Amino acid sequence: MPTEPQTALSLRGVKKSFGPIVAVADVDLDIAAGGICGLIGPNGSGKSTLFDCCTGLVLPTAGRILAGPTDITGWEMARIARQERLFRSFQKAVVFRALSAEENLVLAGQMAAFPGLVSTFSFGPISRRRVRDLRARAGELLERVGLAHMRHAKAGEMSFGQQKLLQFASMLMPEPRIILLDEPFAGINPVLIQRIVDNIRMVNREGGVTFVIVEHNIDVLRELSHRLVVLSRGRILADGDPNDVIRDPRVVEAYLAG
Amino acid sequence: MSGIGSIGPHVAKPVAGGCLVVASLVLLPVVATSYQLGTLVVSMVFLLPALGLNLILGYTGMLSLAQMGFFGVGGYTSALLAMHFGTPFWLNFLAACVVPALVAIPLAIPALRLRHTSFVMCTIAFVFILESVSKNWVSVTRGDMGLSSVPRPRLGLWSGGFEVHTVVQYYYLGLLLCMLAVAALVAIVRSPAGRYMIAIREDEILAASVGGRTWHYRLAAFVLSAAFAGAGGSYYVHYITVISPTVFDPSYTNTVLVVVLGGGVGTISGPILGSVVFVALSEALRVAPELRMMIYGLILTVSVFAFPKGLIELLASVAKRAWPLRARRSHAD
Repeated sequence: MPTEPQTALSLRGVKKSFGPIVAVADVDLDIAAGGICGLIGPNGSGKSTLFDCCTGLVLPTAGRILAGPTDITGWEMARIARQERLFRSFQKAVVFRALSAEENLVLAGQMAAFPGLVSTFSFGPISRRRVRDLRARAGELLERVGLAHMRHAKAGEMSFGQQKLLQFASMLMPEPRIILLDEPFAGINPVLIQRIVDNIRMVNREGGVTFVIVEHNIDVLRELSHRLVVLSRGRILADGDPNDVIRDPRVVEAYLAG
Repeated sequence: MSGIGSIGPHVAKPVAGGCLVVASLVLLPVVATSYQLGTLVVSMVFLLPALGLNLILGYTGMLSLAQMGFFGVGGYTSALLAMHFGTPFWLNFLAACVVPALVAIPLAIPALRLRHTSFVMCTIAFVFILESVSKNWVSVTRGDMGLSSVPRPRLGLWSGGFEVHTVVQYYYLGLLLCMLAVAALVAIVRSPAGRYMIAIREDEILAASVGGRTWHYRLAAFVLSAAFAGAGGSYYVHYITVISPTVFDPSYTNTVLVVVLGGGVGTISGPILGSVVFVALSEALRVAPELRMMIYGLILTVSVFAFPKGLIELLASVAKRAWPLRARRSHAD
């Protein structure tokens, strides 16, 4: 059995500029496998752009991105998701609104159940059984995040907090290795925040899933993450134990200035 | 009649309803006049490309105005095969599905790099190109004169067999083809690929983030929609027995758009209803030729205001009023 790679995600000299605007200046970062890493920084410090680079939504201007030993620089988003089981959430586009909660999860699970392109067009008994299995797993996950009663509700009719829970559940469908969460607690009530926090902890502990979390709610993040990285103007400003990082005078200054 | 893109386990009632509709359609020639059946044949001619448009627009979220271009390609393919090789209808029909699909691939590769209005423009351009080819490739298409005396559909394995002649026979042939096409559309949109297509319609980036190979599914939707259009072209050309470059006229594209958007885009029954209502309406208004298109336009405008999601909305609300309890229960379970 191959040994688990120590590093889940590595960024080597990653830079991203949009015309004259430099969003990510130069970032070197190694995310340890099995950890929960918080990523904070003032608005416009390049956190989301860094996620975009890691997940193939944008191509970095320079630098390499590795998932474990694999260089994934320049890969398409879908390929990174399928092959590396690296998923992300988005701040705004959260769920497929026209689909039911269950269908959202089935859709997310399809990449594992239907690896081949042609197999997705099949509607025969094998395909139907796979979808049935996905529905069963969707049911378990909805139960776990406390949305079992919303199973057949349209995702667009759910509250924003419920949608975020659903989005979180959908990332668990295809057996993730790395999950990047972009502001998972923004705009939702404390009860649902706690529910998401509990689930992140459980998935991290039991499934060994690596998390990188961008969040402005520093109190929650300090408690949840094993490591905290601060980004400012596209560079890493501080990195280390969450409690130390938050007291770092440079970090305090960056936040006040930002 | 549930909403756009709903795919769920509650299919028992639609199946029962579908059987009832099919049964009445099969029995219709007993009571309908041949003029009325002829109108329905025209409805079915438009339904086939409309189903393709519904796949690409209603389920994948891309507006393609190239449908009647592929309809024409299918029509020419079918006519040329029948005229030069005397092939049976099933082979002509199959070729009329396959050839437009193959033509669609090289067109799709540049077009799918575009989004929104640029994509729409590109699909309009396809029809101009195809029209120009049909006008200028005289040795094959006979140019502006077009192909005439296209053989009628011959239903046989290879040689011999039964030749479709009367309007009742055309009606049954169309019914069979449309039922096959509807079944194919249902199978596509309910497959995992269909789920990816709906995801692309909803949010392409989010679809990619859950592992959807969005380019492939957009290509598949485009190519499949061309096959549906070609199927319509084949049925059409063996019915009217002539085909010329006028088949690429924008007015046909408009009719297909009205059928899909006016009927109910992104639903299975919407375009079916749309094809019957809007084609029949256009025929019925022939009693007042001077006012025909004006009344047609007025009715269309009013119906768009009253039912922005298509006529299927009307049917759904009538059904809900007729069986309020059942409708509520089916919503809850």
